[in-house]
Amino acid sequence: MPGSLSTLKALCAALALLFVFAHPAAAQLTFKPTAEAVQEDKLLNALKEGDKITGRVSIPDKMSSSLIQPAGRDWRDFHRSKLPVIGGVVILGMLALLAIFFMVRGKIRIHHGFSGKTILRFATFERFTHWLTASCFVVLALSGLNVSFGRVLILPLFGADAFSAMSAWAKLAHNYLAFPFMFGLVIMFLIWIKDNIPGKLDLEWFKQGGGVLFEGKHPPARRFNAGQKGIFWIVIVGGVLMSLSGWFLLFPYVPADVTALQFWTVIHAVIAMLFIAAMLAHIYIGSVGMEGAFDAMATGEVDLNWAKEHHSLWVEEEKAKGHVPSGTTPSAVPAE
Amino acid sequence: MKVFLASLVFAAVVAVGTAMFLGGIQQASYSAFSTSGARVGDPGNNLMVPG
Repeated sequence: MPGSLSTLKALCAALALLFVFAHPAAAQLTFKPTAEAVQEDKLLNALKEGDKITGRVSIPDKMSSSLIQPAGRDWRDFHRSKLPVIGGVVILGMLALLAIFFMVRGKIRIHHGFSGKTILRFATFERFTHWLTASCFVVLALSGLNVSFGRVLILPLFGADAFSAMSAWAKLAHNYLAFPFMFGLVIMFLIWIKDNIPGKLDLEWFKQGGGVLFEGKHPPARRFNAGQKGIFWIVIVGGVLMSLSGWFLLFPYVPADVTALQFWTVIHAVIAMLFIAAMLAHIYIGSVGMEGAFDAMATGEVDLNWAKEHHSLWVEEEKAKGHVPSGTTPSAVPAE
Repeated sequence: MKVFLASLVFAAVVAVGTAMFLGGIQQASYSAFSTSGARVGDPGNNLMVPG
């Protein structure tokens, strides 16, 4: 029996050896099961920013040839963790600042009261352009914020189905209202650029706190004061950056490069947050923050005393053209 | 108010007009950027709506 047992052992060993030689890959897998994964991890870590592992594709979509792009992980991390923080700080921070300003300074009143006389501040076409751009901006901002914060803030409230339907429509509105927004931006630039060139007068305006920080102090200003010029250039520069970056997102096959698309989405998102914050300040001062200001864009006509306090040099220019109502401008006297 | 409403109507007209124009001149992405062998079926919809 011992002889037959040793013969059996030798036979098994020979069979095992034969199996190993016949299937080298299986043998390798048996002894080093994680070897490939370790090498892949080293490869990914060795790739620098901008490096890519690309393949070769026969379909017309050349972007699909990007197999591994480590910069995409940084981009994803930015969108998931950093962007919500930037957006939250900038937008909520601006709202908090405005609330504090309102509590401290209150509504900025017309120092001499309403005169009862009005002066044309914005013509119909100017107001049309303003509201065209503004209404598109509001929809673009809300639908854009839905992209960044909707899953966290709105999805739990509405549920998946309603959120999905709303987001699909919001995305369509975002894509196509971008075009009238860009159109309005161009018109706005053309009609208001001549009144928004910065000058020495603007420095004086800033030195005096713009006539809003200190009660009763009103630095001289032409048609647009330094603050309004600031808003104008924020809208133009911000709008151009949003349009340019948005154009690449609307037509992703124009850059046809994943890294370029990631770059433009970051620009689009960051500028959007800053843009929204700046427009909140603009909306505040043009509505609840300043008495008589909203009339400029509502009816186009502002009270003469308001105009004299905030745009004294412009009123003089209009007077010289004969556009100001003649006669004295009595201050409003409260009824007793 | 009339100016505001007019601007809303104009924005809607431009948006819808742009959508129709782009829809008319552009080739659908499933056919522009993939060959028939790479399509899953019901092109343009198979990944967007339930089955």
